Amino acid sequence: MFNAIRQFINKFFRNIFSKKKNIALGLYGPPNGGKTTLANKVCMDWLGEEMGTVSNIAHETREIQIKEEISLEKNGKVIKFNLVDTPGIATRIDYEDFLKAGLNEKEAKQRAKEATKGVIESIKWLDDVDAVVVVLDSTKDPYSQVNITIIGNLAARDIPVLIVANKIDLKKSSVKKIQAAFPQYEVIGISAKDGDNMDKFYEGLFEVFK
Amino acid sequence: MPHQCVRCNAIYDDGAKEILKGCSCGAKLFFYIKKEKLAEAKKIIENPQLTEDDRKQMEEDVFELVGHEPDSDSPVILDIEAIRVLKPGKYELDLVHLFKGDPLVFKLEEGKYMIDVVQSFKRLAK
Repeated sequence: MFNAIRQFINKFFRNIFSKKKNIALGLYGPPNGGKTTLANKVCMDWLGEEMGTVSNIAHETREIQIKEEISLEKNGKVIKFNLVDTPGIATRIDYEDFLKAGLNEKEAKQRAKEATKGVIESIKWLDDVDAVVVVLDSTKDPYSQVNITIIGNLAARDIPVLIVANKIDLKKSSVKKIQAAFPQYEVIGISAKDGDNMDKFYEGLFEVFK
Repeated sequence: MPHQCVRCNAIYDDGAKEILKGCSCGAKLFFYIKKEKLAEAKKIIENPQLTEDDRKQMEEDVFELVGHEPDSDSPVILDIEAIRVLKPGKYELDLVHLFKGDPLVFKLEEGKYMIDVVQSFKRLAK
């Protein structure tokens, strides 16, 4: 009995004096917007290693991936965070889309099931992130139900948001269209693949964490 | 509120013993349907293209999706307003519903309690 009380008191004080938990930065967005490509770029720039695999087939990331303790330095300022790469959020997941991409039926159905679970996980994780980078494909129409629902919900939860218009290396890219769709947010055009405009992106992160 | 068996289409009202113990056909997955959505749900479940294997596969998929042991005796009730399984590998998700954080699945254990599986997931993840 005494042991139990002593253990409880030790644990209580250990928790009080343990260092504050790192802030969590979530990467959110529809599938194939480039969340993992951006996560890899950030990890390469600041940790020297990649985070996850990327693919042209949608829903490549189907589980939450976390890279801990990334230290970002800019003009003598430092921010430390855990980077949370989330599965793409979609309203419709159809294994036939994966068949067209070359998977066999069994693989396609498995991927659809895992992707559906991934959407649920991503949404659930919103409770545990402190700030969010919404990664959008700047070659696509920004007025989609997924984009509007994600950004609307982040606003309702008072979570700081930075919007990234990714894939500016592609001809069809239009950062302006995304800016016009979400005028109340800062939108930064980048190419996570080529590393274009990453400086601006890191500056934007400092603003989000202010 | 009606509950419809995914395998044999039988509809049961709240509190029916089949919902607590499993349908007489042996299935343990029900769609939870508000009365006004009943017609839509019927369309999914009564789809003549769904084979017996498809229905069993849908059951297994949903069990895996919500982290439920398939051998467990307790049935699972999926809220079709949040997630629709049209056939194996075809899913429709209502993001507004999911973002609201409403229970996705009502899992009845020992025939008495409704457990929010999404919340249980969260606890496991931490």
